[in-house]
Amino acid sequence: MKSIQFVVNGKECTVLCPPAKPLLDVLREDLGLTASKECCGKGECGSCSVLINNEVVCSCLILTGQVENQKITTCEGVGLSPNLDVIQESFIAEGATQCGYCTPGIIVSAKAFLDGIDHVPSVGEIKTALGGNLCRCTGYTKIIKAVQTAASKKRSETETIG
Amino acid sequence: MLVSEIDMITPSSLSECLMLLSKKGRIHRVIAGGTDATVRMKEGKWRPEVWINIKNLNELRYIEESDDCIHIGPLTTHTDIIHSPILQRKADVLVDAAREVGATQMQNMGTIGGNIGTASPAGDTLPALYVLGARLELTSMSNKRTLPIEEFIFGPGRTVLKENEMITKIIIKPQSPNEIGIFQKLGPRKAQSISIVNVAISLTMEQDLKCREGKIAFGSVAPTIIRARKCESMLPLGQLNDELIRNIAKIAWKEVMPITDGRATATYRRDMASALLERGLYRLMRRWNNQ
Ligand SMILES: Cc1cc2nc3c(=O)[nH]c(=O)nc-3n(C[C@H](O)[C@H](O)[C@H](O)COP(=O)(O)OP(=O)(O)OC[C@H]3O[C@@H](n4cnc5c(N)ncnc54)[C@H](O)[C@@H]3O)c2cc1C
Ligand code: FES
Ligand code: FES
Repeated sequence: MKSIQFVVNGKECTVLCPPAKPLLDVLREDLGLTASKECCGKGECGSCSVLINNEVVCSCLILTGQVENQKITTCEGVGLSPNLDVIQESFIAEGATQCGYCTPGIIVSAKAFLDGIDHVPSVGEIKTALGGNLCRCTGYTKIIKAVQTAASKKRSETETIG
Repeated sequence: MLVSEIDMITPSSLSECLMLLSKKGRIHRVIAGGTDATVRMKEGKWRPEVWINIKNLNELRYIEESDDCIHIGPLTTHTDIIHSPILQRKADVLVDAAREVGATQMQNMGTIGGNIGTASPAGDTLPALYVLGARLELTSMSNKRTLPIEEFIFGPGRTVLKENEMITKIIIKPQSPNEIGIFQKLGPRKAQSISIVNVAISLTMEQDLKCREGKIAFGSVAPTIIRARKCESMLPLGQLNDELIRNIAKIAWKEVMPITDGRATATYRRDMASALLERGLYRLMRRWNNQ
């Protein structure tokens, strides 16, 4: 057991856990943050995606001892009802979620992707960016649409402010 | 060893890390991005007593050009490679290969040092490093040696790395303006898949589609990456036109030595090795023509 400190969704926290315990398990079991889901457990599906220092990674393959003093953002940190992020609102508006298992991981991936660009992405760009996130329900069309909708809403928001 | 019993030490400098590696006693293994290491820990294959976590050793994460060489730190991620202006200009084949590793998450997490350390016959950056003539610097507390990547890997997952050593630098020769390279991969799907066959090509061009010399390295068709020397020797035989390209691709079919496994049969791999080389050469010629 080790005492490990890091920041999750803006809050400092300290957990006492084996350092080789995957971050995903600590988020879900020790911190009660259950948006990130385990599916494959080996980096293939993206349902466990979180941001570490604003980059999207699979929390099922990161050991908790490796995130000491790092900044982690989960889907809860992107937005929680009633203060949803524009990406989450777009997913609802476009009907881009069915069973919802993949959704938190996809929202997190989309957040990292859209924060890194300042245009409305093409279908090809979205497919590359979200290639590590599998969805077995929606067929992806509505997910892609939702990401484009979010991007255009974000743009019009910044234009109004600017 | 249970996962819950595995300890972790995070050295704060390279010298501290080398000191830890030189210590006898507990069985240790280095973990960087963990995209191979954690998967194998979960499968029960790798259960060291202690992980030496180098993920945030930022002194080993850099891409620099000096003394006519490009120096790459082992903790450079695939994403770093894809975005590097130096590599885009002077090591296009490595950038191509990094783009084919997994998907965004794996590119953000996985490192070039880890890809070399795993020494998988399907490792995507490896054929690119072979054709770029990469040399590896291996460092221990008391010693430093540099050797070509061909001499580092001698079987699937098998390398000459000693227990007290780590990869501390990857050194490649920058391409000159008349050198062009490409990486081609066939996997079961576009993102996130292990190569069934991959190939890296680097050519030094002269006037009129003539190639002075070239290097071709295949992955996933032998226990290690292999150079296709017979194909390479045909590259300077004339203009790289349809006929020559097809003939070279035919020789590739014979030159690779694949096995049948869960991912593909040996014959399919031969066919695809030949097809990928042909496609790669066509694409390079088109690019060279348009330059
Ligand atoms: C879903 C998924 C998809 C993948 N897709 C691909 C793919 O398409 N192509 C591909 O090539 N690979 C792929 N991989 C494998 C993996 O992502 C890469 O090999 C990656 O580059 C490994 O880097 P890492 O930093 O995560 O290594 P780690 O897992 O941290 O380490 C791997 C090995 O290298 C050793 N090591 C690490 N750094 C050093 C060093 N500096 N000196 C000495 N030894 C070191 C470790 O001790 C360990 O033995 C995939 C993996 C997953 C989980
Ligand atoms: S659970 Fe982590 S990628 Fe599938
Ligand atoms: S909505 Fe069910 S897996 Fe994506």
